[in-house]
Amino acid sequence: MKPELEQVLNQVLLRPACRVGADFDAWMWDVGGKGLDAALADPAAIIPMVKAAELRGLGGSGFPTWFKWNAVATETGDKYLICNGNEDEPGTFKDRVLMEHYPHQLIEGATITSIACGINHVVFYINPEFSAGITAIGRALEQWRASEWPERIARDTGLRIDYKVQPSSGHYIGGEETAAIETVEGKFPFPRAKPPFPSSYGVFGHPTLINNIETLCNLPHLLQNGVDWFRNLGLGKATGTKIYCLSGDVLKPGVYELPMGTPLSDLLYGYGEGMLVGKELKAVFTGGPSNTILTPKDIDVPMDFESVAERRSALGTGAMIAVSRGTGIVKKVAEYVSFFAASSCGQCPSCKTGTHNMSQLLNRIGTGQGRRSDLDNLDNLCKILPGSGRCPLINGAVKVLDSSLYHFRDEYQQSLTD
Amino acid sequence: MVKKVPYDEALKRYKPMAERPLPPSAEIGEDILRTFHPDYISDRCTELTVGANAGDKCHRQLAEILQSDARIDEADLAASVEEETDVLVIGGGGAGCTAALEAARAGVRVMLATKLRLGDSNTVMAEGGIQASVDKDDTPQMHYNDTVKAARGQIDRGLAAQMVTDAPDVIRWLIQQGMQFDLDQYGDLISRRAGGSTAPRVLHYRDYTGLEMMRVLREAVFNSDVEVRDYCPAVELLSDQAGHCAGAVLSSLKSYQFSLVRAKAVIIATGGIGRLHLNSFPTSNHFGAVGDGLVLAYRLGAKLRDLDTFQYHPSGLAYPLHLGGTLITEGIRSAGGYLLNANNERFIDELKPRDSVAAAIIRECLEGRGIDAGDGTCGIWLDTPGLELRNPGIIEEQFPKLLHLGTKCGIDPRTQPMLIHPTLHYQNGGVVINKDGASTVPGLYCVGEVAGGVHGRNRLMGNSLLDIVSFGRRAGLAAAKRSHSSSLRQKRISVEHLSAYRRKLMLANMPLEQKGPILFPEYAKFENDSDYSGLRKNTLRKSTEIAE
Repeated sequence: MKPELEQVLNQVLLRPACRVGADFDAWMWDVGGKGLDAALADPAAIIPMVKAAELRGLGGSGFPTWFKWNAVATETGDKYLICNGNEDEPGTFKDRVLMEHYPHQLIEGATITSIACGINHVVFYINPEFSAGITAIGRALEQWRASEWPERIARDTGLRIDYKVQPSSGHYIGGEETAAIETVEGKFPFPRAKPPFPSSYGVFGHPTLINNIETLCNLPHLLQNGVDWFRNLGLGKATGTKIYCLSGDVLKPGVYELPMGTPLSDLLYGYGEGMLVGKELKAVFTGGPSNTILTPKDIDVPMDFESVAERRSALGTGAMIAVSRGTGIVKKVAEYVSFFAASSCGQCPSCKTGTHNMSQLLNRIGTGQGRRSDLDNLDNLCKILPGSGRCPLINGAVKVLDSSLYHFRDEYQQSLTD
Repeated sequence: MVKKVPYDEALKRYKPMAERPLPPSAEIGEDILRTFHPDYISDRCTELTVGANAGDKCHRQLAEILQSDARIDEADLAASVEEETDVLVIGGGGAGCTAALEAARAGVRVMLATKLRLGDSNTVMAEGGIQASVDKDDTPQMHYNDTVKAARGQIDRGLAAQMVTDAPDVIRWLIQQGMQFDLDQYGDLISRRAGGSTAPRVLHYRDYTGLEMMRVLREAVFNSDVEVRDYCPAVELLSDQAGHCAGAVLSSLKSYQFSLVRAKAVIIATGGIGRLHLNSFPTSNHFGAVGDGLVLAYRLGAKLRDLDTFQYHPSGLAYPLHLGGTLITEGIRSAGGYLLNANNERFIDELKPRDSVAAAIIRECLEGRGIDAGDGTCGIWLDTPGLELRNPGIIEEQFPKLLHLGTKCGIDPRTQPMLIHPTLHYQNGGVVINKDGASTVPGLYCVGEVAGGVHGRNRLMGNSLLDIVSFGRRAGLAAAKRSHSSSLRQKRISVEHLSAYRRKLMLANMPLEQKGPILFPEYAKFENDSDYSGLRKNTLRKSTEIAE
């Protein structure tokens, strides 16, 4: 790896000094505590700071973080923070790393958030498959509770924060925010209709804030180093860093924390060291993979929310699944759509039957049994399904299919029997 | 230049004699293997750098194909048909057929895919017989002792014990299938003594025991519910998300179409590597023996063992040249045939284990006591006329296949000796298995020559026919059991393990020019003159050729 690439890699969240596991003393030795100190010094300044830093929801939405915070902060009474570690989509594996190896960073981030918004219940909502993460956070919490901090926070702000680790149901849909609320209430993760929004009516009717693990992990660093430092981390107009999950047909897949707005080509060829066996790049499935496919002409795109959106796709979770000429698109899309079909909670009929229908048609075409009419049916489904569900699952499934039909129609047609 | 005696001159010198005592000088030293056996030529081996056996010793030519790039890409499988079965058997020799039969009889759906036709295998070439301790003075313990002793230490004792214990029942099973054995006047099985054995234990049917076995197994498979796919080599295994074996990609040689066969268990029974012609030796192996199964299993992560040791059968035909490598049964030596050098002297006890005898023949040739067969080939005499003198009529009665070979060579073995030289015969190592033939990858079973550990570094005559039936039956049953108990939920199948393997190859800076499995030996030249387009395309093996 070139030195200039090495220099900007893993600067903040994934920096080795933070990778201390469930070891409170090691965390406090170098990084920990300073952000909290700053937060306790002036709790009212936190939200304006987050706003000025333009911190965004890094779980896929890119929604301005301060906006949700503000809504919750203005409410009164018991409030909940759900730290969303349900991460389950193909190609995304960043939160898992943060939870397993950086639990104290997360706990401090969640605590700062609670101080900013006056939240007294923190739930670490974690995919049950991540047993190492659950253990690490559990052990880190014990150390946290035994430290002087809870007492100090109560003394300075009057907040007594109650922390809890709750394994999620393991369903993909449980990562959707209202579905997460249902799970925390002990029910099946059916997404709710919005409004009311969680910020006013969440867990058991209390105002609830839901943030992704990566978003929360940014706070200790933001508070410690200030807004200007944070803004300068990003490239172009973007701020902060982003953890990108690189997978697929690249030589070196993995998690890479890079400045927000790093060009896709740097990630693929600089850090990922290019495609396997020197095959040409064919497509990149982004963040989910529930977004429009990027093609080789998009290789220069800066990977931030706006720039990717300009190419009619979305950054999503930061997952980049690179596919080379050696991989067939139809089977890949069939794989993802069948994932969505299996993940549909089934409460909206159009999603339940629509995803299954798409999956079946794709499997038929992918195994050489498809006819021209099947392709027409897929086109038709792409037109009528979007927006027909309560949550965005159906939209994501359609987007990836629709864009593959747009860019790789010839591959579909070659697979047909007639 | 090594001195050799010209063939005609040596033939003139030769006189058939009934008795030839073994001269005291023929006592071999301990170091004959180290000095003369091809396994011990040090620069022929290399260390594997990628895969489950990284760091282990392996023959260079084998390492090249084990660490080769895959023939197919995921994109090649676009629009390929998906099929489903419970147990998929890859390989149509004795081991594959036995496993398929036992699995089918246990009540599961079985598909058997074979590169050529059912029965095109080394099983049919096995001449000498099959070992089983059924004589009244013999025991499985003695059989075990002989097997372990001949193996020169590197043997999985558990597997060897299992095999010798199964042996009497294997014979019973084979007889039940309809196989014939040579019997005495009372109807009892006749046995011969194998090189390296302490008791007569080799049961046989004339000198084409393997052919007879394959005849029966083939009939049994055709009369069972096993679905047979001829001309369908497996070009890759399929894996599920956990990395377990979940089927295979078959490539039709007739149409060059791939099909993805989803299976709950896969049994690889693809045999050995003779046609790689390691160390430029001729081989007794059939045309398809190029190590396909080893390559497939290794890529999926299966552990292999003993990849630096191969068996060179002492009596491969050396003259005439166009039949070079053709096997002459060890049965001749078991029956009392001598080996003679150009001076008409015996130089080793002919019933020593195969590796010692092969090494002794190579020594004779290197030290100028060999007979020139032309074109750089050298050999020594197999004294068939002497055997005939001692036991009149034995060749016609017990070795009809040898007589037939003699006709092809223009030699009557009853009056003229045959010129022989060691021939690459058997792969001693292979995939690590347990007593059920299960490899280290769940869902993947390996039986027969492709598996290792059963024979150590040197196999006894007649133990491989035993091996294929003993472990073939076990693997068939175990695979059926696995598919009975596996969940009904369909797993996602893919060739994703190829990406992982390619990644490792690239990171280790391995050249990616060689494609594997190679399916056919290099000199096959199907790409020019086959009627089947699939066969032509399937024999291309360099990436550049495929691009064209």
